[in-house]
Amino acid sequence: MRTNRHLTTTIPLVLSIVLVPLTIGMAFWWTGEDIDQGLSQKIFYFHVPIALTSYAAFGYGAFCAAMYLWKRTEVWDLRSYVGIHSGTIFGTLVLITGPIWAKASWGVWWNWSDRQLNVFLILFLYYCAYFMLRFSLDEGERRRSASAVFALLGIGLIPMSLLAVRVAQTLIHPTVFTSSGAAMPGTFVLTFLVGMAAMLSLMVLLISVELRGKRAAARVLQLQRIARGEDA
Amino acid sequence: MQPPVITLTECSKRFGERLALRKATLRVAGGETVVVLGPNGAGKSTLLRLVAGLLRPTAGSARIGDVEAISAPKDVRAGIAYAGHQPQLYRGLTASENLALHLRLHQTTADTQALLEQVGLGDRADERIDGFSRGMLQRLALARATAHQPVLLLLDEPASGLDADGRALLDDTLRAGIGQRTQLVASHDHELAARLGVREVRLDNGGIA
Amino acid sequence: MIGAALTIARVKLVLEIRRREVIFAMLLFIAATIVIVHFALSGDTGAGTRAAAGMLWAAVVFTAVLGLLRTFSAEHEGGVLDALLLAPIDRAAIWLGTALAQFGFLVVIEVVAVPVWWALFFQQDGPSIGTVVVALLLADIGIALVGTLSAALALGARTRDVLLPVLVLPLLIPVVLGGVTATYGAFGEEVGGLQPLGFLALYDLVFIALAWGTSDHLLGD
Repeated sequence: MRTNRHLTTTIPLVLSIVLVPLTIGMAFWWTGEDIDQGLSQKIFYFHVPIALTSYAAFGYGAFCAAMYLWKRTEVWDLRSYVGIHSGTIFGTLVLITGPIWAKASWGVWWNWSDRQLNVFLILFLYYCAYFMLRFSLDEGERRRSASAVFALLGIGLIPMSLLAVRVAQTLIHPTVFTSSGAAMPGTFVLTFLVGMAAMLSLMVLLISVELRGKRAAARVLQLQRIARGEDA
Repeated sequence: MQPPVITLTECSKRFGERLALRKATLRVAGGETVVVLGPNGAGKSTLLRLVAGLLRPTAGSARIGDVEAISAPKDVRAGIAYAGHQPQLYRGLTASENLALHLRLHQTTADTQALLEQVGLGDRADERIDGFSRGMLQRLALARATAHQPVLLLLDEPASGLDADGRALLDDTLRAGIGQRTQLVASHDHELAARLGVREVRLDNGGIA
Repeated sequence: MIGAALTIARVKLVLEIRRREVIFAMLLFIAATIVIVHFALSGDTGAGTRAAAGMLWAAVVFTAVLGLLRTFSAEHEGGVLDALLLAPIDRAAIWLGTALAQFGFLVVIEVVAVPVWWALFFQQDGPSIGTVVVALLLADIGIALVGTLSAALALGARTRDVLLPVLVLPLLIPVVLGGVTATYGAFGEEVGGLQPLGFLALYDLVFIALAWGTSDHLLGD
């Protein structure tokens, strides 16, 4: 069990140390420059993997929320919280890298007709509300189940937001990836995939480190209770 | 339906950092009446709410018959009555409307007027309860709690706010229930158990003494 | 299940008819919101159909949030929620009944507000009213559902009144997007292949399913 827990931190740590610099190297020195967008297109190798990674983290958080409602063990609540927390961190990065790309491509910091960016804005507001809900309820059963139910609503909100902005707007997002995928040379695709792997391992690292901290804190609380003679 | 056996096994409930109930173990036989005594904050209300299935134990279990109280199915819930500190009545409805609503949700029928007369509120049936005194609300809460013929009656300090007549009425209700249904009464009244001739347990600082 | 939900919805409507506090507050609020948004967006009558559509939807959503603040207050006051949780009914019936009542309030408000909105902004060629009505009804279902869910989650929170709008509004952004687009469509604008009305209906279905699946964990401990 102990070695197992170490591995969930060590493996993503090693992967992150290797893959993140590798992505930077590949993006700047290996891939050629995009004909239309030039240097500014390089942010694509970071912005898009970060965005997809934050969806993955939100998905993980929702999955753990469902597991909590099923199993009712505290660890699933912690996992769900930590997953959403790291999703929000990556989401913040999306909201930072997105405007940089927008500024370079369109000359404005925020483009209201960029669908992905708008969806992230909605999700960002929503997950900030998750933290507000969580911290205005007292620790205990009620807080855990309310947080879990709210996290699960995200399962509905993510596709509904994507659809809603699609319904409401015509898109002008720079499509590097067309649906056929043929617009990109092989070096682009490979760099993108390495970037994706880098961000995912960074996410796993973030989750497992924070989870260890939360578990340690919970254990300290438990020991304090035992010391008070409450042993529960 | 048979009056159920109540079993608390090392049942604890924590609110934040406060341990309201500490490893309580208690068995109440089917049809038995037990008075739970203890000072304010001893955990009496928490214990009753755990048995009612309104709270989920932090550790241990609270069972009604052979099901966990918190996940009691509808047919078990149909036999439970719980009256707590709050009257559990809509303030904007009249006394008889409140009872009628309760009966409808329990899918039973009864003569609401007769029920109200039993608790001495026959002539106030069509008054909205936001004008009722504490004692009148307590009487109405008692009528509500027994209206659907429960087999498990949980009363949390039912005598507070009642006058002498009201307390006599409460004693009669409890006495009539002995052997008929399982009854658990949280109270400050040290003589109650002796008057009814039933068992009492003491709660202190979250633990059963 | 449906029977119990209707019983609860009826009680809530009866309470509202007797006290009228929520409906009156909502009516005044929606009127004030329309006026404020109107002046905030230029103040002249020629603000354009798009601005008028936006005004309607902003006003509807904020008014709905105001109504939601009182959603479970009748139950919370007297501890009625305990009685409902112990009654032999599905937990889902409690929020469904509450959402039905909430839906009723919204419809009543809109019956008054939409004609006023119409009279204020369109002297002659207004939108096709049928589309706007259908969009509002579909949106009301979603708003009532999601709002009741959030109100149930916020029960027992320390800062319930502040928390509830923060929880609800992000969840309602898709409804506003769909509703506004549908209203543009009602003015004869080309709104694209994906039908906004279909989207609103889909939103309702998705959140009905989610609410149903989680209803046992919504209320109570």
